[in-house]
Amino acid sequence: MDRNSEKLDQLRTGRSELENHVIDEFLTGHISRREFLRRGSIVGISIPVLSGILAACGGANSSSSSSSSSSTAGSAPKAGGTLRIAGVVPAAAINPLTVADEGGLTMLCQTGEFLVFDDPTTFLVKPMLATSWKANGDGSVWTFTLRPNVKFSNGQTMTSKDVVYSFKQQSDPKNASNALSVFTGLLTPSGVSAPDDHTVEFKLEAPTGNFPWLISSDNYNMIIVPDGTDFSTWEKTFIGTGPFILTKYTAKVGATFHKNPNWWGGQVLPDTLQHIFYPTQQPQILALQSGSVDIVNLIVLQGAQAIFNNPDYNILVNHSSQHRQLSMRCDKAPFTDKRVRQAMALTLNRPEIIKALFQQYGQLGNDSPFAPIFPSTDKSVPQRHEDIAMAKQLMSDAGQSGGFSTDLYTEVYQEIPQYAQIIKQAGAQIGININLHVESQTAYYGKATYGNSDWLDGAMSLVDYGHRGVPNVFLNAPLTSAGTWNAAHFKNPTYDSLYKQYVAAVDLSTQRQLAGKIQRLLLDETPLIIAYFFDGLSATKKAVSGAVTTAMGQIFLSGAGTV
Amino acid sequence: MGLALITLWILSVIVFLAGQLLPGDPGRAILGPLAEQRAVTTLDHQLGVDKPLITQYWNWLTGILHGDLGTSYTYQQPIRPFITTALWNSLKLAAVAFLMCVPLAILAGVLAALNVGSWKDRSISVVGLSALALPEFVSGVFLAIIFGIWLNVLPLDATPPPGASPATVVYHLILPAIPLTLVLFGYIMRMARAGTVAALEADYTRTAVLKGLPRSTVVRRHVLRNSLLPTITVVATQVGYLIGGLVVVENMFHYQGIGALVFTAANSKDFPMLEAGVLTIGVVYLLATLVADISYTLLNPRLRLGGAE
Repeated sequence: MDRNSEKLDQLRTGRSELENHVIDEFLTGHISRREFLRRGSIVGISIPVLSGILAACGGANSSSSSSSSSSTAGSAPKAGGTLRIAGVVPAAAINPLTVADEGGLTMLCQTGEFLVFDDPTTFLVKPMLATSWKANGDGSVWTFTLRPNVKFSNGQTMTSKDVVYSFKQQSDPKNASNALSVFTGLLTPSGVSAPDDHTVEFKLEAPTGNFPWLISSDNYNMIIVPDGTDFSTWEKTFIGTGPFILTKYTAKVGATFHKNPNWWGGQVLPDTLQHIFYPTQQPQILALQSGSVDIVNLIVLQGAQAIFNNPDYNILVNHSSQHRQLSMRCDKAPFTDKRVRQAMALTLNRPEIIKALFQQYGQLGNDSPFAPIFPSTDKSVPQRHEDIAMAKQLMSDAGQSGGFSTDLYTEVYQEIPQYAQIIKQAGAQIGININLHVESQTAYYGKATYGNSDWLDGAMSLVDYGHRGVPNVFLNAPLTSAGTWNAAHFKNPTYDSLYKQYVAAVDLSTQRQLAGKIQRLLLDETPLIIAYFFDGLSATKKAVSGAVTTAMGQIFLSGAGTV
Repeated sequence: MGLALITLWILSVIVFLAGQLLPGDPGRAILGPLAEQRAVTTLDHQLGVDKPLITQYWNWLTGILHGDLGTSYTYQQPIRPFITTALWNSLKLAAVAFLMCVPLAILAGVLAALNVGSWKDRSISVVGLSALALPEFVSGVFLAIIFGIWLNVLPLDATPPPGASPATVVYHLILPAIPLTLVLFGYIMRMARAGTVAALEADYTRTAVLKGLPRSTVVRRHVLRNSLLPTITVVATQVGYLIGGLVVVENMFHYQGIGALVFTAANSKDFPMLEAGVLTIGVVYLLATLVADISYTLLNPRLRLGGAE
């Protein structure tokens, strides 16, 4: 590439060690332009500086992401009017501390905003309530500068005090906070401080290069609320800094919002949002078809085929890391022998499974949680394919040529029952007789602790994992020796050590190198079968444009409307 | 009255004990399977579900005796508005379904009985039995697609817009009421037919015919008054189903009835909501039985006058 060294030096001056490291990785060709934009935005390099570096390297006019926008569709929408959105009934009160379900997190992001936004169309973390951020040399202290003149919907101006309060509450083990699943081992209330009104500093429990991601909109509970907010009554006001203000919320029925004329982000297109709650997908699809709603927030292909490939509707697609894990108990015969686990994995015809369950909306999995969307995924690791002859040979080598019977526990959720049937048929090809136990989610998860949960205790267990922007959670709880969701009961000191190194690694090339080692180890050991990752899908009427959705169920509508 | 209260108390104990058999706990149901265990423990403590069972039950019972239905674990709001809204909605849907179904089914049953063995009788019986065999969630989907999407003449959403007139409310309830009508039609029609056939063969009918009364008078005065008595009992027993058993139809047509309310409460182990919902359905059922008994008495002079002998 054609470099303007003088310009580059100028741009590098004053950058932190971590930021310069990312720039070096790009200059030496270790990461692509797209990954440079993504990575650079995480460590706090602003978009103008990233563009400047690209331009200095001979890539002018290409600072915007090359990723095709899948979440917005069509031409410019008009201002005004009402958008009607079909969503699922929130499973509990809309309390920013405890919300843990799709319906609830959709509600949070209507009025609530985050320090940074994980943009599902570009995979970049973008400024939201923070305008910039910086890390110290090893990524253990992060400093965020807040956007000035942001007002809450009650008229109060947002300061660092509000941000500190929000983070202290969410990271306090004394609170029943869902965000603890992210903050445990990462952040404690004492680690959050405010040097001045517009700066917030986070001292982390362990260095992490992915921190902005972990407090972004990906961590859906982490909206900023005013200092002193009583979370248990937040539902009455929905006070936040976002583009909409609550008009009325009725539990189990729906919610309406009107636009916030003082929003820091500028013009809000819809005058009103009307969210209507439905218990299942079928009535949502029927409502879209009959014209009673404009948008269905999050759908799965099963049962919604009528609106796919139909020119009257837009399908919004977000590639994601959501997947299913089929675990095999590594501590119980016959799955103690890794050849048996490998044999089972070799029986699956993955491309056909994806086609049957997701049409074109899925990607191949390679029995590790490293999804194709993660930049750290080592794509040089060979893909596992169906190979019945090899599977039979492995069964024979393991002394199981006659086959055996085993139990598979799973849940009634989306495509999982169909997938379980496919697994049963696949296993039968090499003599593994799988008895399916397809249970309600409550029965399947049980108390979610060892000894009290079919999910964690079953010989084979098939479970759902939702989208995450970084693989840290997928690598820890289900796979480390001390992991709390280790349904495979996989205990491997080499893996544990690699995992620790991966989380501590702050630069992408080291992360990718470690990812490659983890991927190869998991492919060899096969405690889990991950046959596919699949896209987050939403649907709108043809005339609706500008809706931004995420694979988790968030929907951002400040720029949406009919064209 | 005393017997009814004992019935309700036993019902509350059964629901409470059965609720304990459900897997999971409310904190876990709210925070999801992937939440930190300490967060779940904290929430369970805040909700009070870590107290001994007997304490939980006693607290609930004393509350309800003071007219307080309690607070929902899941929604952290008083339960009464949830129950009253859902019950009122269920009653409206049940009323529309009844008004559509009962006259039609009785008419068809009587018509079939008056033409026993003819093609009319056979046609009505076949249609009735086929409708009975068709589950409401199957007929519901067909009807929704035909009337809600293809023809677009009936709204798919059973919940009318706020402030709708009574006529609009009924208009929104027609589509969900049709699958219920289909299920109940076969049942009530069969009872009406059997009752009418028996009454037509009774001695008093023969006497009435022999004394020269016109056929319409015989049917109206002698046959129907006797033949419809068992039908009333059947209709009353269907009230429980129509109020509390419509989870699928309520979900399909986006309607906030008490069946769906109780179903979600059971799934999320929202014990106070579950108890209040089941007891409400129990009270409605008891009231319906009472109304049936009273109607039975009014229509049956033998009971009203203290026996025929």
